[in-house]
Amino acid sequence: MRDFRLHAGSWVPYALITLIITLLTYLLIQFGLGYDRVNIVLLYLFPVLFSAVYWGIRPSFYAAAVSVLAFDFFFIPPVLSFSVDDFRYLFSFFVYMAVAALTATLAARLKQQLLLAKQSEQHTNSLYALSRQMTAISDLRTLLDNVCRQVSETLDAEIAIYMPDRTDELALIAYSQTAESWGRGESEIAIAKWVYRQGQIAGKGSGMLRDFPGLYVPLKTEERIYGVLAVKPIETGLEIKGSFTAENRRLLEAFGGLTATAIARVKLSEEAKLAHLMAESERIRTALLDSVSHELRTPLATVIGSATGLIEGERIFSSEDRLELLATIRDGALRMNRLVTNLLGMVKLESGMLQLRKRWCDIEDMLGVVLAQVKEYQQHRRIRIGLSERVPFFEGDDVLLEQVLVNVVSNAIKYSSDYSEIEIAVNEFEGSVVITVTDAGIGIAESESELIFDKFYRGSRTGHLPGTGLGLAICKGIVEAHGGTISAEPAAGKGTRIRIALPAGDRRHGIERLSDTEEEVT
Amino acid sequence: MTIHSGGGARILIIDDEPQIRKLLKVTLQAHRFDIHEAEAGEAGIYQASIVHPDLIVLDLGLPDMSGMDVLRRIREWSSVPIIVLTAKEREEDKIAALDGGADDYVTKPFGMGELLARIRVALRHVASSVQEPVLRFGPLVIDLAQRLVELDGSRVKLTPTEYDLLKTLATNAGKVMTQRQLLQQVWGGHHYESDSHYLRIYIGHLRKKLEEDPTRPRFIETEPGIGYRFLSQD
Repeated sequence: MRDFRLHAGSWVPYALITLIITLLTYLLIQFGLGYDRVNIVLLYLFPVLFSAVYWGIRPSFYAAAVSVLAFDFFFIPPVLSFSVDDFRYLFSFFVYMAVAALTATLAARLKQQLLLAKQSEQHTNSLYALSRQMTAISDLRTLLDNVCRQVSETLDAEIAIYMPDRTDELALIAYSQTAESWGRGESEIAIAKWVYRQGQIAGKGSGMLRDFPGLYVPLKTEERIYGVLAVKPIETGLEIKGSFTAENRRLLEAFGGLTATAIARVKLSEEAKLAHLMAESERIRTALLDSVSHELRTPLATVIGSATGLIEGERIFSSEDRLELLATIRDGALRMNRLVTNLLGMVKLESGMLQLRKRWCDIEDMLGVVLAQVKEYQQHRRIRIGLSERVPFFEGDDVLLEQVLVNVVSNAIKYSSDYSEIEIAVNEFEGSVVITVTDAGIGIAESESELIFDKFYRGSRTGHLPGTGLGLAICKGIVEAHGGTISAEPAAGKGTRIRIALPAGDRRHGIERLSDTEEEVT
Repeated sequence: MTIHSGGGARILIIDDEPQIRKLLKVTLQAHRFDIHEAEAGEAGIYQASIVHPDLIVLDLGLPDMSGMDVLRRIREWSSVPIIVLTAKEREEDKIAALDGGADDYVTKPFGMGELLARIRVALRHVASSVQEPVLRFGPLVIDLAQRLVELDGSRVKLTPTEYDLLKTLATNAGKVMTQRQLLQQVWGGHHYESDSHYLRIYIGHLRKKLEEDPTRPRFIETEPGIGYRFLSQD
C-alpha cells in the first residue's frame, strides 16, 4: 500500500505537467499563434515556472524538456518532426533551457525558503507557547504532560520523558498518548540511562547510537541533568513525517533546555515550600513547648504547694484556710484537665482522627448543655439568650459543637469583668444557623481578628490571663469540619463578638411539620 | 437521704488503678459504705459472685478483659446496679455500656459529689421497686394513675407521646436514659439513630411546657451525645 502510494505520489506531477503542456500546445495550434515562435517559446516557460513553484526542481526540469520537445515537434520547421532545418533553433533551445533552468531553480528555492520560514515560525510559536505555559504551572505532573503534548504536536512524534525516581533509577514518568508501548522497551530505557549519565544527545540523526529509531535529548540546566526527553517520529503516509532535520534537532534541544529550566523551577519551589513548612512546624513546636510547660507547671505548682502545705502543717491551718487550699488544688487540677482536653482535641484535629457523628441538633438543647457547663466559672456575669423561634434543626456533631460553644462562651467569661453581660444570639440567615457570642470584655484589635484562630496565638490584650491559645484553633477546626465558618470582630462599644455560621441542611421542614400532628389529651 | 448515709450498702470497686481505688475507698467509706475491691476483670466477676454487692463501680478500661465483657458476664446472672467509669472522649463506649445494662456512668476525671449522686440514685431505684402512683418533683406533680401532670398547681396539657416520654424519664429520675432506651420505651419497636430527631422534637416540646427557660432546664437535662436525665431535685 505504502509503495503504491509512494509511486503514485511521484508520478502525479509528471502526468499533470504532460497534460498541461499538451493542452497548451493544442491551444497554441488552434489559435493560430503558430508562426510567432518567440511568443510561443515564452508561453512554454509557464508550465516550467508553475511546476517549479508547486512540485520543485525535478518536475520543472521535466517540464522544460517536454516543452522543448513539443515546441520542436509542432512549431519548428519541418513541423511534426523532431528534426531541425535551421540550426540556429538549436541555439534557441539552449537559451530556453537555460532560462527555464534558472527560473525553475529560483522559484523552487523561494518555495523552500517559504516552507522553512513557515516551519521556523511554527517552532518559535510552539516554543513560545510552551515557555508561557511552563511559567504558569507549578505542578510537575501537569508540566510534563504539557511538554509531551506540545512537543508531540509540533514534531508529529511520540514523546517519552524519563526522570530518576526516589532510588535515583531512571523511569518513564510521562509520555504522549501513543508512546506508551514504545517508551517502556528495554533498549529505550537503556539509551535514556546512557544519555542521562553522559548528558549528551543520542539516537537517530545525532552522532551517537544513530541506528535506533528515537532521538534522546538530556533535560539539562547548567547545574544538573533532570531527565531525558525521547522522541520518535510517527511513521505514516508516504514519508516519515517529522524526520530529524538539523532544524528539528535544534528545536528539540531548545525544548529540552526549556523543560529542564521549568523542572528546576518547580523543584525549587517545592523545596522552598518544604523549608517554610519545617520552619513553621519548628515555630509551633517551640510555642507548644513554651505554652504546655507554662500551662502545666503553674497549676501543678499550686496543687503541689497546697497539698504539701496541708499534709505537713496539718494543725496550723484553720478550717477556713484548709478549705481555701483545697479549693486551690481543685482549681489547679481543673485547669490542667482543660489543658489536656484541648491538647487532645488539637491532636485529634491535626491527625485527621476527628470523625463527625452527625445527628439532628436542636440549638436550644445545646445551649442548655453549654450554660450548665459554664455555670461554675460564670460568677455574676449575666448570660442573655436571644433565640429566634424560626431557628431550624440542623445536622451536626452536637458533642463537638457544644465543645465549640463552651470554649467561646468560656472565653467571653474569662476576658470580661464580673457583673458584665454576655449575649448569645441565634438566628437563621441565608440557609445557615448563625450563633453570635458578644461580650463586653477587653475586646480585640481588628488586626488580630483572624490571628486569634491560629494555634498558640494569643491576643495582645490577654497578657496576664492564663491560656494556651488552643481553644479557638480547635473551634475553628470543628466548625470548618462542619462546613461552617467562625470569625471574630470588635463588638460595638467594647468587647468581642464571635460569629459562628453552620449550614442548616434542608430536611428541617419535614421535621417541623411532623411535630404538630398529635392532639393534646392528657 | 443525706450525703452522709451510705447505710452500710456494699459497693464493689473494679478498677486497675490503685490511686483511683484508694480515692474511692477512702471517700466512700467516709460516707458509710462498705467497700470491696478488685483490680481486674476476672477477679471482679468472682468477687461480685461471693460478696453480693449492692452496687458495682466498674472501670471500662481494665488490663485483662474489656469492661464491656465484665458488664455482660455479671448481667448474665445479676441485676445489681452498675456504674461505669469512662474517659471523656468515648461517647460510643458510654452508650454501649448503658445499652448493655449499666445503670449510669461517670466520666473521669469526676467530682466526688457527682459519683455519690449517681450511687444514691442507683441504690434508690433498687429500693423502690414498687411504683408509687404519684411522682413529685418540687412544683411538678405527675399522677401516673390518672395520667395527670400539674406544674405549680395548674394542669399541663400533654400529647400522648409527650406524656409517655415524661413518664419514662420521671420514673427513672436521676438516671441517665440513652436515646435508644427512650425511643424503645416510648415509641416501641425497632429504632435507628436517625430517629433521634423525634426525641429532640418531643423533648423540646416538653421543655416549652414545663421549663420557665428551656435553655436553663430544671427538669430535663441533656447528656451530650448520650441521652437525657430527669433531674431528681434533691
